[in-house]
Formats: sequence, structure tokens, C-alpha cells
Amino acid sequence: MLIGTVVGNVWATKKDPTLSGLRFLIVRPYTTDGDASAETIVAVDPLGAGIGERVLVVFGRAARHAIGRSHDIGFQTAIAAIIDSMELEDGRVVGPTREHDQPAKA
Amino acid sequence: MFLGRVVGEVWATRKVQDLGGLRLLVVEALDERREPGAPKVTPVIAADPLGAALGEHVVVAFGKAARVATLGMDGDFAFEAAIVGIVDDFDVPDAPATWRMERVQTQAALDAGKGMR
Repeated sequence: MLIGTVVGNVWATKKDPTLSGLRFLIVRPYTTDGDASAETIVAVDPLGAGIGERVLVVFGRAARHAIGRSHDIGFQTAIAAIIDSMELEDGRVVGPTREHDQPAKA
Repeated sequence: MFLGRVVGEVWATRKVQDLGGLRLLVVEALDERREPGAPKVTPVIAADPLGAALGEHVVVAFGKAARVATLGMDGDFAFEAAIVGIVDDFDVPDAPATWRMERVQTQAALDAGKGMR
């Protein structure tokens, strides 16, 4: 599982039939030095997260369960939670969006 | 599975139902922090059935192992990483100094905190 920021949507018309009607988001993983990861992840979103929101991404069986269409589905990454906050030991608070972030305590 | 250090905690209200009641911790893998200025890491979010404290070293497992360790059984649950052990001690002769230093600091912090509990 990891935390990331929703940075975009993806649409695909030609896709596996088990994926019809699902919402795909592009998520950029959070890294502990506060910078965004260079890589992004595509995840199915059953919760309705918006661009800029921080989300919890799960993989594999957990993701297929979160998508809610049984296990015979052609996808393995999903959003399982929209986070309120993530507090780190140095006092940094990663908020629900970038605007809510707080820096490390001196 | 990997050896990591608890560096934070996550809270979420809007979530898949069966994540309710799970404590979610932020864990940084130790082997990603070899040198100061090492490449940035994406921390793993893990369910915590054991009550690990901030700064403690932990063992994290994935998949079925994580679900069994957390709930006592496998099944359809929306998580796949969990803390399955809180490390008392480890002996890695070639470990970078940062591992040991952090650990000493952590232990000191824990000792300091005990008086307040």
C-alpha cells in the first residue's frame, strides 16, 4: 500500500470487458523527502477521489476486492481510501490536498 | 517482507468499509536509506495489529501473510501490507551507520517517553 496524490484521469474505449464503467485515475506516489515520485500509477477509483486529493493505493487481491467486481477482473491496482492526513515523525503533516500540508517542526 | 522503521501514521474517513478500525502506519524501508542524500523513497503504508510506536523498527509482510497476521485469516480485505513483528534487536555487521544511530536515538526516545505513559 502507498499514499499518492491524484494527478489526472485516464479514459480508454478499447479495453478488457471486465473494466467497463470503471473510473481510472493517475496517482503520483508520495516520497518521504517531500518531493513527488517520478513515476505514476494508474488505479481504479471506487470512492470518487478528485484531482489533487491524497489517496491510499492498494494492489493485488486487496485491489480487486476494493473495486467490488469479484476477482475475475483485469486490474490489480485500486484506491482504497481518501486520506484526511498523514503525520510524519519530523512534524510534517501531509494533508488531504497540497494546500493543507504543514512543514516539519523546527 | 522487509525491515523498516515507523515514520508516521495515516488517517482516512472515506475508505473501503473493511479498512475500518485498522491502524495504518507509514514505514520506510531501512535498506533504502543507506547514505545521507540517498534517493528519495516511497514509504509503505502497513496495517498495524501490534501497536508499533513511532521510530520503532518493524518487519512488514505483504499479501496473504499480511491479512493472516492482522485478522487471523485470509479473505477479501482491502489491504495487503501489515506489520508482523516489532524488532527488539538486529545484528548486521555491514549495516550503514545510519541504521545504528537511528536505533540508538529511537531507544533513547522510547526510554524518555516511558516515564510519561
